[in-house]
Amino acid sequence: MSEKPNKLGSVNWEWEIKPETSWWNISLIELYSYTDLLQQLVRKDFLGLYQQTLLGPFWALLQPLLTVLIYVVVFNNIIGISTGSVPPFLFNLIGITLWNLFSEIFLQTSKTFSQNADLFSKVYFPRIIVALSTLWLQLLLFGIQLLLLIVAYIFFLIKGEVDFNLGRLLLIFPVIAITTGIGFGGGLIFSVLTAKYRDLLSLIQLIIRLLMFVCPVFYTLSMVPEKMQWLVNINPLSSLFEYFRFAFLGMGSIDILHLSYSTVFMLAMVCFGVMFFNKMSDKLIDVL
Amino acid sequence: MSDIVIQAENISKLYHLGTIGSGSLRREMQLWWERKILNNEDPNQYIRGGKKIDNTEAVWALKNIDFEVKEGEALGIIGHNGAGKSTLLKILSRIVKPTEGIVRGRGRISSLLEVGTGFHAELSGRENIFICGHILGMKKTEILKKFDEIVEFSGVEAFIDTPVKRYSSGMYVRLAFAVAAHLEPDILIIDEVLAVGDADFQKKCLGKMNDASKQSGRTILFVSHNLQAVNNLCSKALWLDKGNIRARGNTKSVVNEYLSALHKNSWIKEFSTLNEAPGNDLIRVLYVELIPHLDDPNNVPDIRTPLTVKFRFYNASDNIVLSTDLLLFTLAGECIFDIPSKPAIYEKGMVEGECTIPGNFLNDGSYSFTLHFARDTSSELFSYEECLMFDIADYRESINWYGKWWGYVRPDFPLVLNALIK
Repeated sequence: MSEKPNKLGSVNWEWEIKPETSWWNISLIELYSYTDLLQQLVRKDFLGLYQQTLLGPFWALLQPLLTVLIYVVVFNNIIGISTGSVPPFLFNLIGITLWNLFSEIFLQTSKTFSQNADLFSKVYFPRIIVALSTLWLQLLLFGIQLLLLIVAYIFFLIKGEVDFNLGRLLLIFPVIAITTGIGFGGGLIFSVLTAKYRDLLSLIQLIIRLLMFVCPVFYTLSMVPEKMQWLVNINPLSSLFEYFRFAFLGMGSIDILHLSYSTVFMLAMVCFGVMFFNKMSDKLIDVL
Repeated sequence: MSDIVIQAENISKLYHLGTIGSGSLRREMQLWWERKILNNEDPNQYIRGGKKIDNTEAVWALKNIDFEVKEGEALGIIGHNGAGKSTLLKILSRIVKPTEGIVRGRGRISSLLEVGTGFHAELSGRENIFICGHILGMKKTEILKKFDEIVEFSGVEAFIDTPVKRYSSGMYVRLAFAVAAHLEPDILIIDEVLAVGDADFQKKCLGKMNDASKQSGRTILFVSHNLQAVNNLCSKALWLDKGNIRARGNTKSVVNEYLSALHKNSWIKEFSTLNEAPGNDLIRVLYVELIPHLDDPNNVPDIRTPLTVKFRFYNASDNIVLSTDLLLFTLAGECIFDIPSKPAIYEKGMVEGECTIPGNFLNDGSYSFTLHFARDTSSELFSYEECLMFDIADYRESINWYGKWWGYVRPDFPLVLNALIK
């Protein structure tokens, strides 16, 4: 804001359009005024996703269910990865649920610019609103999958194959928060990069696929050989999967130090992601 | 009384032609390394004949634009395609950033650069009213308050719960514009939206915009090729030409200046030698001119202006029965009239012709003349197609309707009404 006197005295300009956006120029007041839009975008995407489909939101359940079945057959029955006393179905479902949260948020957020080029070149609103609406939609879909997981968990609980500890189970909330943050921050950074270099979008798909094997989705950290432990240690996601599984099953190795590393990594990703996105979003319109 | 709500200082916008950046990460990093670290020139510049040619040509879409808009003012922005009008609107709507300069302002801006921004084809009209409204910056309560009004204005009540992908294109556009028309920002930015919809709907839209500017005192920035609409809606106008402001001020004078510059060149065609002149071995047309009978030479011909066409041609044949036709075509290629000259015997040599079309005959629009030469009124000697192109501006007095006047001709025949006494 600046003041400039004119013949009527001093005028308070309410806004300015300047060539450069500063790194810090994020107005929370402005963002707040767009909450209606955010809400509507989530609604639109959710409704649009399942309009004229047979199963509607059940698709959100079908995908993890089928994946789990394939994993159980391939990793546990054919390759023979042991899940101990835990039913392989539940073991894999836990991993896949958290993995889906991360990969979907990361992938969908990274498409923010490439998929909304038309909209962005016609009307102004803070671009991050679209990324936030993607985030909320993915959290909503994750909620549906989490329900599936809880139903499966209760089923095995009744069968007596797993045990229950409320204090332990509450751990899922920080784990979900950190996973979401890393996915969102990374997605924001890549959304800028993919807008500029379209080929990166296919690279992201590849990164996600490779990353899944580095994360303990269908194995536990204790199975990782000594030689490869460094890979586990530098991967900020690995402890999250261990904690998530621990919350439900009470199994696996947990390491507070590594969780703190993940938290710091998440905060750094989100801060840098938001700033980078905000700084670059105005310039990208010329490139899209 | 009237405060300045937008103040633009030295706005410039640079665009790079061709691919922006190199599109590949490797080259970009190489470029950055060479330029910033080693301080060299771009290693990938094309070198042609020993001279370096920059492969990304830069173009100033706007250059040093300064202007102010006062509260409640309606500013029309006119100019050719590519003059920078849309770039200017995009900068003001905060979609793109200027390369240089600063714009300051007060109040909420809504911009309408396209109808149906953010529409989702799978969702119903009802949902889309909300989506579109929110995207354009309306609050939920505002939309709820105006919902019925919007639906009524659009005229798609019966289909409001049908997915918009099943709408006809007309319904789609009407619904989209209806949302936009009910925006209540302090500053409204509109780009060419009136090019859509049928005449009836256009009239409705212009009426709505007229209300917005004249009754509600809203500030409007309006880009259009419909000069009649600009004339009627806007008090001030800005003429952009190749990124610069060519003229500004009172709408009428800016529009006139624009039109006369636009058409002066195509009103005369003159050739000094027979070989250059269009034609063939039989006929060569050396000169054609359109002379509008204007009181003030700075004005442009409007529907009241008589027009004279003068031409001179060389007839290469001796003792033939020659006649000439003057044909008038619309831009779409429909013939409005064909006026023949009296057939007569002419010797080899120059022949001159002239025809005057009275005022209050043609409707406003774009037209072209064609000259047709025939022997014995039957065999064609030469046809000089579209030798003159011109526009007729509209003129209305005490009429509150801004849409396109129907018809190709607009003769001033008296139509008399008499009230019958019971």
